[in-house]
Amino acid sequence: MLKKLWTHYFIPQERNNYRASILKPNFLLLLLVAYLLNQSAIKTLTIAKPGILGYSSEITAQKVFDQTNIQRQKDGLSPLIYNETLSKSAKAKAQDMFANDYWSHNSPQGKTPWTFFDNVGYKYSVAGENLAKDFYDTDSLMKAWMASPTHKANIVHTRYQEIGIAVINGTIGGVKTTLVVQHFGTPLVASVAPKNTNLKPSSDVVEPSTEVVNLPDLETSNILGKTSQPLISPLTLSKIFGSVIFIILAVVLFIDGFVTVKKDVHRFTGSNIGHIGFLVLIFLLMLYNQQGSIF
Amino acid sequence: MIFPKEVKQKPLEYLVLLLGLIFGFCLYIFIDNSQIRRWIIYSLGMIYFCWSLYHHYKRGDLQLSIVIEYLIIILLGIVFISGTLF
Repeated sequence: MLKKLWTHYFIPQERNNYRASILKPNFLLLLLVAYLLNQSAIKTLTIAKPGILGYSSEITAQKVFDQTNIQRQKDGLSPLIYNETLSKSAKAKAQDMFANDYWSHNSPQGKTPWTFFDNVGYKYSVAGENLAKDFYDTDSLMKAWMASPTHKANIVHTRYQEIGIAVINGTIGGVKTTLVVQHFGTPLVASVAPKNTNLKPSSDVVEPSTEVVNLPDLETSNILGKTSQPLISPLTLSKIFGSVIFIILAVVLFIDGFVTVKKDVHRFTGSNIGHIGFLVLIFLLMLYNQQGSIF
Repeated sequence: MIFPKEVKQKPLEYLVLLLGLIFGFCLYIFIDNSQIRRWIIYSLGMIYFCWSLYHHYKRGDLQLSIVIEYLIIILLGIVFISGTLF
């Protein structure tokens, strides 16, 4: 009975008019509906239970701060000191990006990153900014920043002493996202140095500190707090579900093509080779898709 | 080899499809913008649909059921990849 059912859905034969039932339009439509339902469930969970699934549930300012200092310590640099004023400027930058719907260091109104430092009254000799959006976990975010020479240069800049971080949810370009803004700086003490984020690193090496710094409680309305550990990324879940359906379809298409050519069956159906080619392309692109982008 | 029999009959048609898909793949990889990537996927779907219409018209078996089959396969592809575009 089970074998009969299995062959009916997966193997072309007289009973299914020499076309595996799973490849018939009504069954394909069913797969499409199943996938859409799965996506809806993921989105619903993202909103209802942000600690379990979500486009940003894992990232917190504390984790970004800790990992930034871990990267610095790997390079033998002194850890950055958390600065509340810099966090305010980072938060203002993120809110400005949401309010004016842009994804850039400079706003359409001509505001540069330095505008936000100035607005909160942070006087600096050296300053820098890192931006990221759409990342699900802090590890992926840090990997992306460290893989980019310009972002890495900010993280392991020898001249920076302080850091402020904002992790804020909102909508950019009609898409819900999480922005992560890092503002780096060294306060202006005695001499006035020019605003420059590309200063040559000094050769002074400060002994790394093992001191654990806990950030003060940040606002929880917009900034993601210390939520529960996520079980699985929604991107991974989408990829797994999509991959399973795609692999099944590709295998059945292959078997279907093989059997019908071998039996010399002529049918009015789409090209199996064309379908396989298109599905393989989509499958590869789906696997290639990564989370997040940096600026 | 059994499988390429269909290809042997119309090699140029399959070559055009292959080149179109490879071109779309390369474009997708090199353009790091999710909005543009969405449009690349829509374009790839459109290319595949147009190819299928021409392919089956030339074969003389262009039927509504075949057109629907292609539309659903393309829709599946677009929906699947859109789900992983963040």
